[in-house]
Amino acid sequence: MLKEIACIMCPAGCDVEVEVSGGKIISVRGNTCPKGKEYVKREITDPQRNIATSVLICGGEQPLVSVRLNKPVAKDKIFSVMDEVKAAACTAPIEIGQVLLSDVASTGSDIIATKHIKRRGRENDED
Amino acid sequence: MERYDAAVIGAGVVGCAIARELSRYQLSICVLEKEPDVGSGNSSRNTGMLHAGFTYQPGSLKALCAVEGNREFDMVAEELDVPFRRSGKVVVGFTDTDKRNILKYKAIGEENGVRGLEMIDKQRLHAIEPGAGGEFAMYSPMSGILDPIQYTIALAENAHMNGARFFLDQEVLKLERVKDQYRITTSEGDITCRWIINSAGMYSTKISDMLGLIGYETKGFKGEYYVLDKKAGLGLKTPVYPAPNEKGGFATHATITIDGNILVGPDSYITAGREDYATTREHLAGLVNDGLKMFDKVRPEYFIRTFAGIRWKRIDPDTGTVQDFVIERREEAPYAVNLVGIESPGLTCALPLARRVVKKMQEKEVLKVNPAFCPIRKGIKRFGELSISEKRKLLREQPAYGEIVCRCEGVTRAEIEQAIHNPLGAHTVTAVKNRTRAMMGRCQGGYCETRISAIIQEELNKKVEDVLYQRRSSNMFVGKVRGGKDDA
Amino acid sequence: MRKTVVIIGGGPAGLAAAVRLYDEGIRDILIVEREKYLGGILRQCIHDGFGLTRFEATLSGPEYAQRFIDEVVERGIDYVTDTTVIDITAGKVVTAVSVRGLEQYQAAVVILAMGCRERTRHALSIPGTRPAGIYTAGVAQAYVNLRNIMPGKEVIILGSGDIGMIMARRMTLEGAHVQGVFEVQPYPSGLPRNIEQCLNDFDIPLYLSHTVVDIIGTSRLEGVTIAEVDEHLRPVSGTEVTHICDTLILSVGLIPENELSLAAGVELDSRTGGALVDEAYHTSAEGIFAAGNVLQVHDLVDFVSLEGERLARAVVEYLNGRRVKSTACIAVVCDPLIGYTVPQHITGEKDFVLSLRIRRPLRNCVIELQADGLSIQKVKMKKALPAEMIQIPVKADTVRNAGRVEVKVLC
Repeated sequence: MLKEIACIMCPAGCDVEVEVSGGKIISVRGNTCPKGKEYVKREITDPQRNIATSVLICGGEQPLVSVRLNKPVAKDKIFSVMDEVKAAACTAPIEIGQVLLSDVASTGSDIIATKHIKRRGRENDED
Repeated sequence: MERYDAAVIGAGVVGCAIARELSRYQLSICVLEKEPDVGSGNSSRNTGMLHAGFTYQPGSLKALCAVEGNREFDMVAEELDVPFRRSGKVVVGFTDTDKRNILKYKAIGEENGVRGLEMIDKQRLHAIEPGAGGEFAMYSPMSGILDPIQYTIALAENAHMNGARFFLDQEVLKLERVKDQYRITTSEGDITCRWIINSAGMYSTKISDMLGLIGYETKGFKGEYYVLDKKAGLGLKTPVYPAPNEKGGFATHATITIDGNILVGPDSYITAGREDYATTREHLAGLVNDGLKMFDKVRPEYFIRTFAGIRWKRIDPDTGTVQDFVIERREEAPYAVNLVGIESPGLTCALPLARRVVKKMQEKEVLKVNPAFCPIRKGIKRFGELSISEKRKLLREQPAYGEIVCRCEGVTRAEIEQAIHNPLGAHTVTAVKNRTRAMMGRCQGGYCETRISAIIQEELNKKVEDVLYQRRSSNMFVGKVRGGKDDA
Repeated sequence: MRKTVVIIGGGPAGLAAAVRLYDEGIRDILIVEREKYLGGILRQCIHDGFGLTRFEATLSGPEYAQRFIDEVVERGIDYVTDTTVIDITAGKVVTAVSVRGLEQYQAAVVILAMGCRERTRHALSIPGTRPAGIYTAGVAQAYVNLRNIMPGKEVIILGSGDIGMIMARRMTLEGAHVQGVFEVQPYPSGLPRNIEQCLNDFDIPLYLSHTVVDIIGTSRLEGVTIAEVDEHLRPVSGTEVTHICDTLILSVGLIPENELSLAAGVELDSRTGGALVDEAYHTSAEGIFAAGNVLQVHDLVDFVSLEGERLARAVVEYLNGRRVKSTACIAVVCDPLIGYTVPQHITGEKDFVLSLRIRRPLRNCVIELQADGLSIQKVKMKKALPAEMIQIPVKADTVRNAGRVEVKVLC
């Protein structure tokens, strides 16, 4: 079976043609660099994804803190990660980069905050 | 059970005008409106013209009320603090047929008592409105433009401050006569009253039937509109209409509104659906096509919004011809004042019609004047209309005027909050829009809608899932993304 | 109050310009931001993919913004938030309003960095009713990512722009059912990466050459009618299908937000919706410069930052130099296959970067720059998409004293 994948490793965006048979890669054509070949191989055998979502915050200036994984996880783990994220809550203040969920859904990847969120309340300066 | 002297059914511009006029007397008044805000029907779906009265048959109610309503409007606009400009209007023509038709309506106008109508030449036309095309025209100096939604709201608020009670989001389901009272069953409970005034607009025949005043027929003449960016309206100040046809109808035209937008339309076709307000591909395309003949800016880069209105005209069941307004009190229902077939020029005729409702009631009983009646109502102060020094002063007194919420129309948080806390209790996002012009600009709420819905939630303590857009059950959201309580 | 530079907008363009200005010695700067926080639209773009070229990392929007915010704060560059500019004059008087009052700044230079707004339903004349449940993609994104509000459950998306596809994924992750993405053109308008990771990953179908022809529902959206379109993008009669849904998300284009620019008398290019500029990003109004989405709609924020920085260097030259109107008189004329170029005209006195977009997808083409008919540069492209801005560095020596510069496409 022939699959065409647009490589996203660099702006060239080569259209790479992969021949797959019985779950194994037979040939890779159309890439102009080794990074492309690797990306495409990974996409077929073990696609990885990052996830960007939000975690509920208590006592913050905003109701949600935007988060992402610190490293991509297997594509089929996306919804398990989301289940844990949806059940989570954290407390302000939050620092950018702070780990909110360690080893989320046993993926070896952490959920980290991508925004600073200050604590809402009397401690903050009045306008 | 609540008991009132008079129940007005329908809070369109006419119903609100009736409530205001009734509040000049010592009467307990309630207004029943099925939508979450006043003016939700055709009162907010029209061209906003204050008609002079030259297209209506002499002696008709349309003609009499239009001329009366037109003459007094400077005073009304001032009392109610609503935007209005007596802009005049030019009806332009090119051919001999045009001239014939225009002269015919000039004569009708004069017979109706319309002042100042004059035929003008191309030069004079150009002086009055450089943007108008035409070989000659009729100039009608008494015509004007207003904001029909602001006017309806102002009438309602003035009625309210003089004691009328508004029941929004409350539909009349049933009427019965119990001894010398009416018992009205609504979607939110029962009300008894001595008088019923039917000003239900598109549903006037339905209420009329409920009152036992059967046999009326109305037909829906639907018209679609484009609203164009204020940029398209730059430099234009006078509404320009093409010459009417023999029946007094006008082809698609482009007119300036009180806010400086341009309205293209309405066109006209029949609909059977009482609230068939959907615009259609066919008719919008028609408006663009016809509009471009008169005005070169009918282009997507200027499109702000589209909408439709329906003029429910009373027709003779046998001949199908359009009939005059009905405003009556009959012995079959002596304590009901029935208004049927109120359509254009309903906006212009609202207060004259309201006064006639009072006269009908006075046929049956003496109405004592309400000494506390105050005709003056103040609207929301608009930051965007003030000078720099006025802005500075206002900001020192009310800092919330410094938070711009709607960037396109320059509407501030102070105005939004005042709109949310409106005396009538209308709590939808559109209620805020109609009172402030927020969301009416070129981004159509792209910037401010998220803020307005948040302020509504805050100010009225509403749950996310209860925020409404415009109509009943027009819930904007299904819930929170992340549930759980917020610790304050 | 006098200010040397007033920057309108604290998003990526404004922030990058501010930092560069400071580092080149301009200290009297004020960034005016209408939101509560700096960062601009990046604050709600929580997905990754930002900073690939600039930081060689794949950051989320907020993280990318924070890098620049940190630099602004470190340098002590002056900024105000919750402050909206309500007017700019040709004389560079900037009027700004906040709860603290009304302030007017007399600027020597004004930098326009206001970003864009979204094209609306009515701009496309989509007929039907006006129920709750219709959102442009950016608004839906703000509700979901900033306000913790879920707009709906059964979603149809019109427009395969990046924001629409990003929202397809976002809504799906939060439990909505995205029934499909419908695109009027015969090719997708967003990046291939997003088609893969936002649609294909979640089995969300993409229908090309389709559009919405009717909207149904009185109070809340109940359905939309979709039809196929022909080669002239006109709906084909008989192909209408009504889809039951409660949410319609529109991702149908961005429009540079130039109302303030017009107030200042800045001339706009109808092809970009942004200002007409020379290679210094100098508009037709003397001392008023523009960069970022307000100048031309970008697809990579990394390029926005670079543009802001190039603008800053040009502003420094202007302030230290002649302080005159743009003397650009060499027109940059483009091939019919090219939608637009920025700059639209040049002085020919400095090296610059030419930004452009092609009108439709092309394969194996060559973009050629000519000065008075002579070829000065050729760029081979295996694949060129309207969704991907093309940037070509141009040396002043190749265009100095030319009568006109032409940008051609050969394929």
